[in-house]
Amino acid sequence: MKKIGLIAVMIAILVSAAVFAGGQQEAEQAPAAAESTDGFDWRQFEGQTIVACWPNHGHYNATMKSGVIEEFEELTGIDVEIDLLQYIKMHDKQVLEMSKASGDYDMVSMVVMWKAEYAMGDMIEPLQPFFDKPNLAVPEYDFDDLVPGYVEVTGIAGGENIYMDGPGAKLYGLPFGSETSFLVYRQDLFDEYDIEVPETYDDLIEVSKFVHENIDGVGGLTMRGASGHHATHGYLLHASPYGARILEKGTWEPAFTEPESIKTIEFMKKMVEYGPPGMTGYTQDEEWQAFLQGDAAMYLDASVFTGAVNDPSKSKVVGKVGYALHPTAKTAGSETGGFGLAIPKNATNPEASFLFMQYLTMKETERKIIDNGGAPFRMSSVNDPALQEEYPEFEVLAEQLKYANPDWRPIIPEWGEINSTIGININQALTGEKTPEEAMEDAVDPIRDILIRAGYIDE
Amino acid sequence: MSSLSLRQKSTPLMFLLPSLIIMAFILLVPIIMGLRLSFFEWLMRDISKEPTFVGLRNYIELFKSDNFRTSVFVTIRFVLSVVVIEIVAGLILALLLESGLKGMRFFRTLFVLPIMVAPVVVGVMWRFMYNPSYGKINYLLTQIGFERVEWLSNPDIALTSVIIADVWQWTPFVFLLALAALQGVPQDLSDAAVVDGANYMQKLLRIKLPYIASILGVTAILRLIDAFRSLVVIFNLTYGGPGVSTEVMSLHLYKSAFVSQRLGLASAIAVLLLLLIVILSLGLLVSNLRNKEN
Amino acid sequence: MMPLLTMKKRQNLAMLLRYVFIIVFAAFALFPIYEMVATSLKNEVDAFSIPPKWVFLPTFKNYQEVLFEGKFFTYFYNSIFVALTATVLSVAAGALGAYSLARFKFKGKKLVVIGTLLMRMVPPVILVVPIFLLYNQLGVTNARMSLALVYVALNLPFNIWVLRTFIMEVPKELEESAQMDGCSHMMTFRRIILPLIAPGLSVASIFTFRISWNEFILSLVLTNRNTRTLPVAVSLFLTDTGTEWGKITAIATIIAIPAFIFTFTAAKSLIMGLTAGAVKG
Repeated sequence: MKKIGLIAVMIAILVSAAVFAGGQQEAEQAPAAAESTDGFDWRQFEGQTIVACWPNHGHYNATMKSGVIEEFEELTGIDVEIDLLQYIKMHDKQVLEMSKASGDYDMVSMVVMWKAEYAMGDMIEPLQPFFDKPNLAVPEYDFDDLVPGYVEVTGIAGGENIYMDGPGAKLYGLPFGSETSFLVYRQDLFDEYDIEVPETYDDLIEVSKFVHENIDGVGGLTMRGASGHHATHGYLLHASPYGARILEKGTWEPAFTEPESIKTIEFMKKMVEYGPPGMTGYTQDEEWQAFLQGDAAMYLDASVFTGAVNDPSKSKVVGKVGYALHPTAKTAGSETGGFGLAIPKNATNPEASFLFMQYLTMKETERKIIDNGGAPFRMSSVNDPALQEEYPEFEVLAEQLKYANPDWRPIIPEWGEINSTIGININQALTGEKTPEEAMEDAVDPIRDILIRAGYIDE
Repeated sequence: MSSLSLRQKSTPLMFLLPSLIIMAFILLVPIIMGLRLSFFEWLMRDISKEPTFVGLRNYIELFKSDNFRTSVFVTIRFVLSVVVIEIVAGLILALLLESGLKGMRFFRTLFVLPIMVAPVVVGVMWRFMYNPSYGKINYLLTQIGFERVEWLSNPDIALTSVIIADVWQWTPFVFLLALAALQGVPQDLSDAAVVDGANYMQKLLRIKLPYIASILGVTAILRLIDAFRSLVVIFNLTYGGPGVSTEVMSLHLYKSAFVSQRLGLASAIAVLLLLLIVILSLGLLVSNLRNKEN
Repeated sequence: MMPLLTMKKRQNLAMLLRYVFIIVFAAFALFPIYEMVATSLKNEVDAFSIPPKWVFLPTFKNYQEVLFEGKFFTYFYNSIFVALTATVLSVAAGALGAYSLARFKFKGKKLVVIGTLLMRMVPPVILVVPIFLLYNQLGVTNARMSLALVYVALNLPFNIWVLRTFIMEVPKELEESAQMDGCSHMMTFRRIILPLIAPGLSVASIFTFRISWNEFILSLVLTNRNTRTLPVAVSLFLTDTGTEWGKITAIATIIAIPAFIFTFTAAKSLIMGLTAGAVKG
């Protein structure tokens, strides 16, 4: 009797849980429009003006082209002004503007590298208090659908290692213009010469060598190698799969002299040898152009590249490319990076800005931005069969995001200085000015000095 | 009588006053603020907080840094090369176009054009032309039978590439000043020389060059100063690479201030840069001031 | 007969050589500018073609986009205002100061002369934050005039030095006779000095205009979205994912035009100043 009662209770619990869960699912799937019109007051900040500092970047341009800003203005009665800037100089302007008692900006777009700096410097607002206010949080927003790796890399700071999630971490930004890395290759050449798409880094070396030796005027892989942050970026892309790290986990000691790191640089040297000419001077611009002009057979870097590849006014290889996962070495690991949106502490209209932020990152808005050439940032989109049909790279992207590594570089506030210092040495190794071992060894002291000064390690 | 002499005395000040006021407030005050920072640690991101006094730490760090030492040598090589080449080329150009030529005015305006192109564009245009794959320079070189040159990716060549771009943009500066000076050479002096049977070279060496020497000297000083401070073209052309082979001090300074965000360290570089300019322009300066007295 | 002929031949040869030199120089000076303009009229795909497309169907798409997307005309107005204001004020103040330093003897003169040059030597990069803080405290950021005044100050040392040198080349006798006729210093300055140093004035104004027209970092930091100048718009096309070649060359060509026009008019006044000087001399 007792046993039966227990089973009955358990069944009852299970059934009710299932019903409850189903109901929740149904609520999530409810059409957004119906909810927003009667459930949520979009017009509470009517008449306010918000100024957003945005970069001139494919995703943001797609946003402006898609008309969603005008729709938001229509819906809310809020005026939106976009201050479009060059991304590399945006940082200085934002920092100075946020140091004023009252700044010009209600919203800033920040590169992931600046996240920890802004958050630790108390320049931007934590977002949870906004999400906690029922009058501000859009009910159908579905935060959990945002690509988790993107949220962590663009939005979360203050936890483990300062720039990562963990105890004490807070949400400061939402991903908008985020990216990962994958392989883009010349399908036509691969077919013609019967080349197999590389799955590992050893394959990658072999294919690059083959292309270099057998296809006239075409190099293997295009890669950034210019002195400074470009070379560092090129290095990090491959360091993650090779299992190399810049700094040791936990101790913050330099770890880039380890064998994995040297192996990464030796790999890069081979790519320079087999690649298009002059790669030791390549910035991202030359890296892209080499593939777009047909001078390189492979591209392995930020996924935002697809916009340009498919644009006939920029690309000579439209319709000739295939997409594949970032090859693996010791592990699988692709980069995560790009931009996130945040609200400055000295914003005039932070709440209206928060509404705008949510609106921009909602599912329906995202679709419109994707249709205009923007980058997806919700799991439901990359997994959507209809979208995968339309954008063949989404299928690869959905798979790739499983291996996206939010911790492929230590984006502490001092990262800019470390980035630039180590990049000079990597470049010197690529040009042959120094051996890989020498180059990395030479970077240890300057980088330790930076870390000592900032209090991460002791002398 | 006394009021007249007072007016006499205050006249030079009256003429100088507008410049002095503007320079004192908008130049001198920020310069003092800026240079004082060289004894402090102050991060761009901590701009709302007070700077921390660190004594000579920034200077010590610079003296210990290999990259900084390299940048000093790179700077000196860059500056001396461009100043000498530009002065010579600008002067030759001015003499060629000085007079007696059809289409002279057309050519004069034509040669001023490079200086009017925005520096950021000069950097990216030369980068475009130097490109190893689609750059026009390598294309033209291969057309006339030369090898391709690794303009920007070879650490031994990159500085030359930067110098070429700078000479392209700044020779017109010397040209303009030299031309303006040549036009001030009194015609009667020249005529008298012709009557004396002096040939072109004699006329040039005995009359024209001495006459324009002081303006040429000032041109050299100003060009020297600007070459030391030049940043934007190199920034967009090589960003200091490959390695640090084209990282001039002003670029090192820029990176310290805006990439590393260390305003104190950047100020220390500025102080050392200032010292270096003063030392290198001392000769020119002394001769300039001595000339004045005569 | 013979020596005369050879002399004529030699003259012809010299003339020929002169033209050859000039044309070589001209090709070097013009090629990058040709490239800039040609790229602005091409599709991006064509811009990278090797062998280059010397003949191509021009497109004005880049110009259209640069002019009508974004805030080009606001920035253009700001640039004209800032550059002209800065040029006029800086050259005027510089000429007055230069006159004082060239023609009068007074205590502390050497200090001013050397101090001015020293100020010119300071890299502007380290002034960005101090000027920002100063302006912020005074509450004058975001105004066009504030930015113009910075350019006045930055160019004054150069102008003072150039104009001082030119004034010192003017024969003193001219002024002395004018003063005997009862002219005040101010009148002498305006009637005698200014016309005679016209070439110097035009050089000073060309370079002041050039710097104020092209300066980027101070303009970015000291202004806001409404008062900013054109170089910020130029920099937009150097994106994180590379250079938008068509657009950057298009806007570079557009913003070079006012600078060219300014140079042409300044160059003209250079020649006019010359003739005026010759007549008086």
